[in-house]
Amino acid sequence: MRYITFALAKGRLAKHTLSLLEQIGITCEEMKDEKTRKLIFVNEELGYRFFLSKATDVPTYVEMGAADIGVVGKDTILEAGRKLYEVLDLNVGKCRMCVAGPESAREKLHDGSLIRVASKYPRIAKDYFYNTKHQTVEIIKLNGSVELAPIVGLSEVIVDIVETGSTLKENGLKVLEEICPLSARVVVNEVSMKMEHERITRLIKDLKKIVSAN
Amino acid sequence: MSELNFGQELLHTPGGVRDIYGAECASRLKIQQELHQVMISYGFHDIQTPTFEYFDIFSKEKGSVQSQAMFKFFDRGNNTLVLRPDITPAIARCVSKYDREEEMPIRLCYMGNTFVNTTPYKGKLQEVTQLGAELFNDTSSDADAEMVVLTIESLLKSGLREFQLEIGHADLLRGLVEEAGFSGTEADELFELIESKNFFGVEELLDRLTVAKPLKEIFVSLSELQGSFKESEQFVKERTDNKRVLKALDRLKKVEQIVAMYGYEQYITVDLSMLSNYSYYTGVIFRAYTYGNGEALASGGRYDGLVAQFGKDAPAIGTVIIVDQLMLALERQQILKKEKFGGTLVVYPAEYREKAHHLAAKLRGSGKVVQMIRKSSGRELEQYQEYAGRIGADDVIFVQADTI
Repeated sequence: MRYITFALAKGRLAKHTLSLLEQIGITCEEMKDEKTRKLIFVNEELGYRFFLSKATDVPTYVEMGAADIGVVGKDTILEAGRKLYEVLDLNVGKCRMCVAGPESAREKLHDGSLIRVASKYPRIAKDYFYNTKHQTVEIIKLNGSVELAPIVGLSEVIVDIVETGSTLKENGLKVLEEICPLSARVVVNEVSMKMEHERITRLIKDLKKIVSAN
Repeated sequence: MSELNFGQELLHTPGGVRDIYGAECASRLKIQQELHQVMISYGFHDIQTPTFEYFDIFSKEKGSVQSQAMFKFFDRGNNTLVLRPDITPAIARCVSKYDREEEMPIRLCYMGNTFVNTTPYKGKLQEVTQLGAELFNDTSSDADAEMVVLTIESLLKSGLREFQLEIGHADLLRGLVEEAGFSGTEADELFELIESKNFFGVEELLDRLTVAKPLKEIFVSLSELQGSFKESEQFVKERTDNKRVLKALDRLKKVEQIVAMYGYEQYITVDLSMLSNYSYYTGVIFRAYTYGNGEALASGGRYDGLVAQFGKDAPAIGTVIIVDQLMLALERQQILKKEKFGGTLVVYPAEYREKAHHLAAKLRGSGKVVQMIRKSSGRELEQYQEYAGRIGADDVIFVQADTI
């Protein structure tokens, strides 16, 4: 039997995914050891392999076929723009992709002016402003603490993930527009889906049952 | 940069293109030749088209890649030229030009490099070799099946054993969307979701739109309508009587039966949710997959409207094998036989030149590969022996006074 390889985004999501997999009978004891320095974990009996990677790399591993299945946030999938099968919504890690900024910036989103938009997600930001709002903007790519940008005058607005909105509020910013809802998704490589159709479909169906029961 | 490194920067190739050399080059050429031979044996005639052409040949509905993904430049008359991203449109152009009056089948095959200007750091090649065949003026299901069988036989010829060829129909989803009365943007959104097999997304979208229940059931269960064609056919037929859809199903059924008659049913599966990646496809479409590759290694389909855009009303179906993907699969599945130089190395001192040339001519005349080297006075015979081992020669002959 060939291995089916999972790429999991490091952190909370990986833990949650492993517990879901455990509920459908796919376990990986090796992975529970917090101190291990191993990079790849194997369940020989069932023919599964697992590895953890940075969230933004999960779509890459899956698209290139280095992993058959990946679990990662919708934000990462949209930003990566890779060719993947997106087969299941795990309904966890729910949040929204939003345009945020000070209240004073709201009118600039309607008068078609050329504004600066800071974001960790330049692709999503560009797609939204160019193809949905038809507004020409300047996009500035940042790698973290995006909320700073409008405060120090680097940009007029930001495009970022909003979960509760408390970081925004504490910094005097508001959600100005909502781009799309986000949550964790199961993605599958195009070829794996064909070549291991039965095993992967069964796995997804089992996961689906657990997810909709929760 | 230090003085010592002078010239080192000249060694690199740009991202996305590469050198093919040594044993890899030899096996690649051999496989290309074998696959080409399969196509020739089906009566396909060779054709070569230019590496670059006018942009309009490949633009919009005629092409397989978006405008931004083409390598463009200008000629002296300021016309936009592109490195061909695909070969099929060029062949459609040729048929319209050179076989304008022919109404009987035309079979053409080709091999050439194609170029796509992709984003860097994504691990994708920008130049790949495509080997393909096109069959014009034959609308029959037999023609469809022949192209599927030709693809299967070519892949088998390369040594590949475990692969799946998926067959779908471009008109199936178009018919269903027409029946549902979706607008252009709604249809695009739906296709995008189906393309990424995002069926929970499909469900959400359909909840937003008003769709008749049976049609909705078809869209939602498309992901499961894979594998057993009989069941999926039944499922769809019970829920729609759209003519385009029924015609598409009928065609798929016939093609499946003919391919089974050839004895290749184990290599094909029918996927009703398959979407054509090129907008020029109008009928049966297919893609071949294997273990070890992240993407399809062969694809094809019927494009009855493309040639008409160049002025001749000719239906057509084509197939293409991406040689680079095939080689990758063969290598990863450890099927690839290493090609070695073989042959004989003839080493001779200057005084026996004539003798050596006679010997070489005799050997070459009997079909052997001979490589000749004049012995340099500064080199020992052992060094030539070692060299022969390095290049994989079968044997070495040192020409001496008594060599016949």
